[in-house]
Amino acid sequence: MSESKDASLTPETRRLHEGLARVWANPRGLGALTVVNHTTLGLRFMATGAVFFLIGGLLAMLIRTQLAFPDNNFMSNETYNQVFTMHGTVMMFLFAIPILEGLAIYMIPKMIGARDLVCPRLTAFGYFCYLFGGIILTSSLFLDMAPNSGWFMYTPLSSGDYSPGSGSDFWLLGITFVEISALSAGVELVVSILRTRTEGMALHKMPLFAWYILAMALMIVVGFPPLILGSILLELARATGMPFFDPAGGGDPVLWAHLFWLFGHPEVYIIFLPGAGIVATLIPVFARRPIVGYGWVVAAIVIMGFVSFGLWVHHMFTLGIPQLATAFFSAASMLVAIPTGIQIFVWLSTLWLGRPVMSLPMLWILGFLVIFVLGGLTGVMLALVPFNWQVHDTHFVVAHMHYVLVGGMLFPLLAGLYYWLPQVSGRMPSERLGKWSFWLIFLGFNITFLIMHWTGLLGMRRRVFTYDTAMGWDIYNLISSVGGFMMAGGVALLILDVALHFRFGKPASQNPWNADGLEWAMPKPPTPYNFVSLPRLETRNPLWDAPELPRTILEGQHGLATIDHGRRETWGSDPLTGKLREVIHLPTNSWWPLLAALTLALVCISLLVRLYPLAAAATLVAVGFLLRWSWENGAHPKAAPDATVAPGQPPLHSRTMNGPGVWTMSVSHLANGSLYLSLLFGWFYLWTVAPEWQMPAASPLAWPLLVGAGVALTLGILLLAKLVRRLRRGHDASLGTGLFVVAILGALQSVLLIGTIWLAKLAPTESAHDATLLVALLYILIHALLGALLCLLQGLRVGYGFVGAEAPLEPVVVLRLWYYNLVVYWSLFVAIWVMPTVLGGTS
Amino acid sequence: MSHLLRLTHPIHLVGGLTLWGIWFVAIYGGLSVACTVAPPSPDRDALTGINVVLGVSTLGTAILLLWLTWACMKASRRTQVRRERFFALASAGIYLFSAGATLFVGYPVMFLPPCI
Repeated sequence: MSESKDASLTPETRRLHEGLARVWANPRGLGALTVVNHTTLGLRFMATGAVFFLIGGLLAMLIRTQLAFPDNNFMSNETYNQVFTMHGTVMMFLFAIPILEGLAIYMIPKMIGARDLVCPRLTAFGYFCYLFGGIILTSSLFLDMAPNSGWFMYTPLSSGDYSPGSGSDFWLLGITFVEISALSAGVELVVSILRTRTEGMALHKMPLFAWYILAMALMIVVGFPPLILGSILLELARATGMPFFDPAGGGDPVLWAHLFWLFGHPEVYIIFLPGAGIVATLIPVFARRPIVGYGWVVAAIVIMGFVSFGLWVHHMFTLGIPQLATAFFSAASMLVAIPTGIQIFVWLSTLWLGRPVMSLPMLWILGFLVIFVLGGLTGVMLALVPFNWQVHDTHFVVAHMHYVLVGGMLFPLLAGLYYWLPQVSGRMPSERLGKWSFWLIFLGFNITFLIMHWTGLLGMRRRVFTYDTAMGWDIYNLISSVGGFMMAGGVALLILDVALHFRFGKPASQNPWNADGLEWAMPKPPTPYNFVSLPRLETRNPLWDAPELPRTILEGQHGLATIDHGRRETWGSDPLTGKLREVIHLPTNSWWPLLAALTLALVCISLLVRLYPLAAAATLVAVGFLLRWSWENGAHPKAAPDATVAPGQPPLHSRTMNGPGVWTMSVSHLANGSLYLSLLFGWFYLWTVAPEWQMPAASPLAWPLLVGAGVALTLGILLLAKLVRRLRRGHDASLGTGLFVVAILGALQSVLLIGTIWLAKLAPTESAHDATLLVALLYILIHALLGALLCLLQGLRVGYGFVGAEAPLEPVVVLRLWYYNLVVYWSLFVAIWVMPTVLGGTS
Repeated sequence: MSHLLRLTHPIHLVGGLTLWGIWFVAIYGGLSVACTVAPPSPDRDALTGINVVLGVSTLGTAILLLWLTWACMKASRRTQVRRERFFALASAGIYLFSAGATLFVGYPVMFLPPCI
């Protein structure tokens, strides 16, 4: 449907369209780097992910070429190590997660009736972190410095002793950089889904895809920090010799395995859940009936999200863990079959009870069902400890993993690609090319990986770069390689189809699949603001129940159909009921995300080349950019200096006490808390398990300083909480002064902590105890400094008139940080001072 | 905060699995610590103090989860609001799954020695 040129629109509506287009415009040229809009950034995420997919795929073809024949010398063992490590790393970290996040970033606002995500600048920052991190990591391939320890970087193989080059550093720093992107997307997706749904869309009415993405985003928020911590510890070990993973210094290499798989197993479900979300969206459309058992699916999603965190040890069955403990994890691993089974049966029931029509997206869905069920069955086999021992580290595991990941993620993703392509481009892809592509990929995949099960059962270990013909694996490997190239041919056809459709595809109708989702109620290609007006929705299938919505939305007959204020706006709604609570004003295009990400890239590169002073300076500059970015909020002239809203509308979010910023801070603390708990886990793990751990007879930490720092923190909280309570009553007298006093208390806490570290005379390169203690103290020091800095800035903002009784939100957000600091500080005090002191110096 | 305790609130979608998760971490962590600090003789079978504690905690957790399942079912019948009924029923299902998961995961304490 054409936009403001639509002749049937009234002049007033046309002016509205033009105003929205002006306010939401994406700059071109160099200014395109400042774009913060979710549609553009979602597409950038997906396009970048597709490029990394091709790089990862090329590496896979190199692997299959090497393994096609016995005693092959196509690659050296060293090159092969780099190639398989980078294949896994690129596919898992640079393709699977980012492309799914890109899809979520693109789709979620369109599905829940919002104009953008809740933190648009964070979307842009996340994209640039992903792009720069990915470039840094893949550049290692061209510098012949690629990591070569496998995509899970087990210690001690990845340590400085056994991997002395820069390969492991590229991995650790590059991946950590990319994970900033994953976390930022995770946080804002959670808050956007909970707080920006259109009016009336109660939690139990929102699209299933949003439930899946909510679970995925929460899992990212909780699941990624253990790996970030592990990467920081391993990089510290490599750069400075801190012995976290070295038994001689009181460390334990198994700690890395725990931290990695605490992330790594949920990662599989983080990848699967959005794929399943696509399936749950498409099947009802093509079955032409609402999904059967919506509540069952919601329950299954929640169960899967949780249980996936209780399985990590099943990757470590051969590490010598007691039988009873392995039995716990074996049983938990089997349990995952229940929520998976629920979803499969719901999808089958929907098809059974509906009137299915066959189409290209459905072909990919059927491919998914076949492959994923097979992968799930071998997963249950691998959950059995004795069987797991037999096939551990063989090609059987590689085959299982690809069945689950390619079946569970790639096939649904391609189904989604064909389904939503007309929404993006306004054109239909070619059925013929698409079917050829499907069959080549489907058959090629099964020829490659079904055979690989047998290769594994015959004893071929993963990661061997060649094999003797006497092993009897020749024919299986050759068949797998042929299948791999067949699959590559299918991918080439897919790319051709997508590329050609932009030029030759038939124009798509308004709702080409007769779908129920709100994303089909907007113009194609979509405008940057998605909807001219935001409808009230109380149904799970909006376009089936109200097919006139595309027209009425376009005519501005629904909410937020004003633009005279010049703000980018979307609804802020109640997370449960969908009742309107605020008008959220969104930031416009900005250079700050790019500048902050660029500076962080400089930090990353300086650490790689061990230029630590430059890294420190770049870190300070990055913090400066981030704080400057935060300055343009609330009542700032570039945000919303004028709080006027249309009659009957709720207030602007920055003029309330519970805007999305509070939620964003809280969800961020879920991630932060996960990192902190991982650190505590590391401390107690090494204390109780590491054979050479040495706990000193008396704590090296001066308790008066520690208690003094805690008292300063506690007093700061009490004062800040009082200021917020006064703000809630509308009083802002002495607010600025009060905030400065809180900042001083935060600074005092920081000084006392620095004194504690100084006086402790720790030897972090000699003992894992001292190294862990130092990391823990630095963790709370960084938080203390941040708390003080933010209060200082808040005090300044009160002076500028950006914060006060009229705009009271920001101190509430900062108070959340201080509460977090309080809990962390005193719990850490118990863990690192009280417990060692009470229990005494034993190993 | 009291509204969070009502069994029709969606927080209970994650309540059962949170309890299950705490129990799971406790039995795994507790087992690891107990085997480090006071391992029973390798000659002994499953009837050890460690297994008894693990078994009792398993039963206690399962009973609590089953009670919550029943309470959610009751809450779903009491409320007239569709949204609340939806969340109470879904929560009941997840509590029931959590109870089953607790018994299934904890069952090996009956026949496996703890530290071998």
